[in-house]
Amino acid sequence: MATPEVVFAHTDGGAVTDIAQYEATGGFSALEKSRAMAPDEVIEELNASQLRGRGGAFFPTGRKWSFVPKPEQIAKPHYLVVNADESEPGTFKDREIMLRVPFRFLEGCLIAAYAIQSKHVFIYIRGEYEQEFEVLRDALAAMHKKKVLGGVTIVLHRGAGAYICGEETALLESLEGRRGQPRTKPPFPAIAGLYAAPTAVNNVESITTATSVMEMGGVEYAKLGVPNSTGTRVFSLSGNVVNGGNYELPHGFPLKDLIYEVGGGIANGRKLKAVIPGGSSTVILTPAEVEKATLDFDSLTSLGTAIGSAAVIAIDDRCCMVQLGIRVSQFYEHESCGKCTPCRVGTHWLTQILQKIEDGRAAQSDLDLLLDVCDRILGKCLCPLGDSDAIAVASYVDKFRDEFQAHIDNGGCPLGGSSSLEAVLAPVAMHHAAHEVAHA
Amino acid sequence: MTELLKVTVDGREVEVPRGTGLVETADAAGIEIPVFCYEPRLGPPVGACRMCLVEIEGLPKLQAACTLTAQDGMVIKTAATSAKAAEGQNATLEFILVNHPLDCPVCDKGGECPLQDLTFRYGPGATRMTFPKVTFDKPIPISPLIALDRERCILCYRCTRFSQDVAEDGQLVARNRGNHSMITTFGEDPYRAPFSGNVVELCPVGALTSTQYRFEARPWEIQQIPTVCGLCPVGCNTSVTTRDGKAKRVLSRNHPEIDGGWLCDKGRYTLPHLAATDRIREPLRRLQRVGLEPISWDDALDEAEKLLRGAEGRIVTALSGSETIEQAYALGRLLRGGLGAHSAVLPESTSSALDAFRLPLSGIAAAEIVVVVGDDEVVDRAPIVDLWLRKAQRNGTEVISYGPSSEAGSAMAALHDLTEPDSALGKRLRASDRAILIWCGPGGGGGARVAEAAHSLSFDDKPGCGAFHLPATPNGRGVAIAWAAAADEDETDPEPIGLLVVVGDDAAASPSVRALAERAEAVIAVTMFQGLAGGWADLVLPATAALERDGTLLNIEGRLQRLRRAVVPPVPDELAWIAKLAGRFDVDLSPHSSVLFEEISARCFDGATAADHATLPARTPYEAPAPAQAVATAVPPRPAEDHFLGQLRLVRYRPLFSGPQVERVAELQFQRPGAELELATADAEKRQIAAGDTVLVRSNGTSVELRARINRKLAAGVVRVPDEHAADLHPTVEVVKP
Repeated sequence: MATPEVVFAHTDGGAVTDIAQYEATGGFSALEKSRAMAPDEVIEELNASQLRGRGGAFFPTGRKWSFVPKPEQIAKPHYLVVNADESEPGTFKDREIMLRVPFRFLEGCLIAAYAIQSKHVFIYIRGEYEQEFEVLRDALAAMHKKKVLGGVTIVLHRGAGAYICGEETALLESLEGRRGQPRTKPPFPAIAGLYAAPTAVNNVESITTATSVMEMGGVEYAKLGVPNSTGTRVFSLSGNVVNGGNYELPHGFPLKDLIYEVGGGIANGRKLKAVIPGGSSTVILTPAEVEKATLDFDSLTSLGTAIGSAAVIAIDDRCCMVQLGIRVSQFYEHESCGKCTPCRVGTHWLTQILQKIEDGRAAQSDLDLLLDVCDRILGKCLCPLGDSDAIAVASYVDKFRDEFQAHIDNGGCPLGGSSSLEAVLAPVAMHHAAHEVAHA
Repeated sequence: MTELLKVTVDGREVEVPRGTGLVETADAAGIEIPVFCYEPRLGPPVGACRMCLVEIEGLPKLQAACTLTAQDGMVIKTAATSAKAAEGQNATLEFILVNHPLDCPVCDKGGECPLQDLTFRYGPGATRMTFPKVTFDKPIPISPLIALDRERCILCYRCTRFSQDVAEDGQLVARNRGNHSMITTFGEDPYRAPFSGNVVELCPVGALTSTQYRFEARPWEIQQIPTVCGLCPVGCNTSVTTRDGKAKRVLSRNHPEIDGGWLCDKGRYTLPHLAATDRIREPLRRLQRVGLEPISWDDALDEAEKLLRGAEGRIVTALSGSETIEQAYALGRLLRGGLGAHSAVLPESTSSALDAFRLPLSGIAAAEIVVVVGDDEVVDRAPIVDLWLRKAQRNGTEVISYGPSSEAGSAMAALHDLTEPDSALGKRLRASDRAILIWCGPGGGGGARVAEAAHSLSFDDKPGCGAFHLPATPNGRGVAIAWAAAADEDETDPEPIGLLVVVGDDAAASPSVRALAERAEAVIAVTMFQGLAGGWADLVLPATAALERDGTLLNIEGRLQRLRRAVVPPVPDELAWIAKLAGRFDVDLSPHSSVLFEEISARCFDGATAADHATLPARTPYEAPAPAQAVATAVPPRPAEDHFLGQLRLVRYRPLFSGPQVERVAELQFQRPGAELELATADAEKRQIAAGDTVLVRSNGTSVELRARINRKLAAGVVRVPDEHAADLHPTVEVVKP
């Protein structure tokens, strides 16, 4: 199966951290091309590519840029903020992009800055990403030496370990030196973002892809993938598969092929029980649904879930769904910023109820309460964090109701001691070192 | 004319101006949208509590009403008509109550608690939460004034927003995240800031409580008496909570033009001085070798009459400036009318020329440029003005301060410079429609010089331009007007002084008044506290506190405000015994403040009355004040080298937390400034003085040991020391390391 390389083009499976090597394969030509165009024409090119945000919300990148007012409309500095605070459980694509194609990423930053007529770029990088930070720092130094920045300042800002700072307004708060808590919207960042000035906030992969879009042309890029989900995507495959890792594939790729062919199938000869298709906040899929699913917006939306951050987590039949719920809920409870009531209290309460079910102390009413608390969180929070927990947990009950019921009927976990969450939403390293990533 | 938008709330159509928030829009339609975190005075909404969830037609999800503004044609459904909104609000309350201890029966807030009220109206009747609640150590004293119960806290962030965004003291913060989030100060530091008490009033639950008010009263056994604060010239509108005739706490009573609903800690927490252990409750007479002995009121009046007659008109009266207009007038009628004693030591007053530039204090927040001139800090003289200035700066106002410099009179020179035709700032002030001048410090002719500057900058015809004088005493101007209204004769300087009549605690505590007493044959002191009476007074008459008086005060803006008696004083009202005493000198004087005020008002205030929530009188045409003795000219600042280990100018100031009342409140002691010397960075560096060092401050053979504090904003060549720690230091001092 031919898989076009867009994000990881010209890497030959390795990393391009040498600026001469990057330039030798056409590096910075997209930037040059962009700077020869009017900023609006760059945005038009992005619109033609139909590139949509890779952070999880799938918002059209060109449109996001076009929302940023022109400098003559708002006489304040304009900012490009790149969200490199990748922390959604199961998601580890951005770190590989930063490690392997740092120049393509930084070139994208300059293209985006040019398009929104900004001279200031802030890259908010997850605090735990030590190596990624160093690679970017060195790449930036090399670019500075080569004088390709064109008067644009790129600041690498390291986060301090809060998942919520991946939410764009919390990120901006944190960047401004305040407590990382989401802001109310409106005003939207495009109008009043960083320091209350016009700001575009984009994901690392979106920005990196923008370089490729400018290189190959928007129309050409749009030929990749499927309608509504053009182009390629870096999928983070993890969980109980043989070959976990990041794989760049075109949108529309069959989910089962990702798991069984690219990923080498379920590890240890186990059976597939469920798949989380787009990061821990998305609705879980049953094996029957996995058969039908392709990795694109339309297919996954029709199955009631989402492509999210394209983190595919395969779960085998040893896994107890209540335990999975506890693990997911604990994560969101731990990462809840504490600003709004339903998330702060609800995520903790969900964990408590799930634990009670797992321990076999739950009555039938507790299962109803669990779903009701999910319902009472959903759609009532300030930002999507609380919703994520509620959506995920409610989907486990919805798709695996019998298993939850068995916990109550049997007074405990039907899987007994055999249940294992090994490798599922656990803090896993990338399964392949950057330079030896497997290609399907 | 602002554009009006049509909005439907629960089927009722209402028209509101563009920009109106949805909570206010619903209110205009007579519908309540419940809130906890929403408080427009704290800045932009944060949408944290989710109590205000409503359904808006066309939007799939419930919306936090507090974060949105009205749009034309918007259809809003609140819990009253939308099952979804009702469910949302019920959910919010269920979540809030999950960890709330529900200890209402022992909670101070119980009975006046928004959480209680809203739970009854919108909340679930029973709990489904069966797990242990999140617990914290409690209550934590975040300062000697405020106790924090983190279990009751619903994390609405009102208190931290006040600290960060209104008072800008930045001391109250949230720590940790999620369910472990908690309100805290930094480390073990107390919340030490001039406006800290406002967070207690802002708290919508019983999480932040006043240590003075804890367990003192329940809401169903209290009364609220609307009055004004008599401790500084702002005159914040207050409400005094009383129980069984005793004053228990002071709350703000929002006057949007004066205080914006805020109070300083001095106004809020000095209440206990009413019950000070050395409060004088009966008249006292000095007996040779015995000291002060209590006497009856009849004897006291006989004694007072004897002393007054014996002085044969050689009487000097020292007033504090905290008296009501009526008290000063009654004293004037007695002493001037009855005894021909026209000589008085009056507190620093405010020039009437400023009436041409009258503006509500809230006008500061709308200004384009504000120039503050003077040696004192605004917060020490008129604390609320500090909050208005901060709000102005947040609104984009340029606030320019000319604080003390090494030259005495530099403030006057700076002011004079503004009026020079080539002054760049002067030109901008002249061109601006919203420029304000503020005089903050001693001198300046009580604002007369500022009025002159405002006039010369053509502020007269611009209603958005104004000028203020921040006087040192609460009612200095009112006292001066009333004293002047009592008689027409001119002042004489009696020598020797036969009798010194000292009125009020500030006069009794004043070193200059004490010095005058040395020259007097006899002294009558009217004071609240034994500590201020002993050793020098021949007759002591007990005084009342501001909160025990009916009367009228004239504030900083020139607004007449009604002071209403909140509690019956333990001693007779001053007006009662002044009237009796006046009768002995054939002066017919009413003991009722309302009657007295009618008399004064007819003569001095065009018959105006001091109503609750008094409005500001119109501007009067500018009348040039008496000119200054000598107009200072601009002196270029001396190069800092001149001060190398040389002389520094000492600026003494009266800190906000000082004075006889504050000294008598245990909980306020931590707010009082320590024995500190503020000095400029350059002066400290030259002397190799670091913050916290002990330094010796010397002048003319006197020396004081103080702790050094570096003030980056201070001009080189100046040091600041609180009055109470400056002892007998002269205006120029040397600062050295011992």
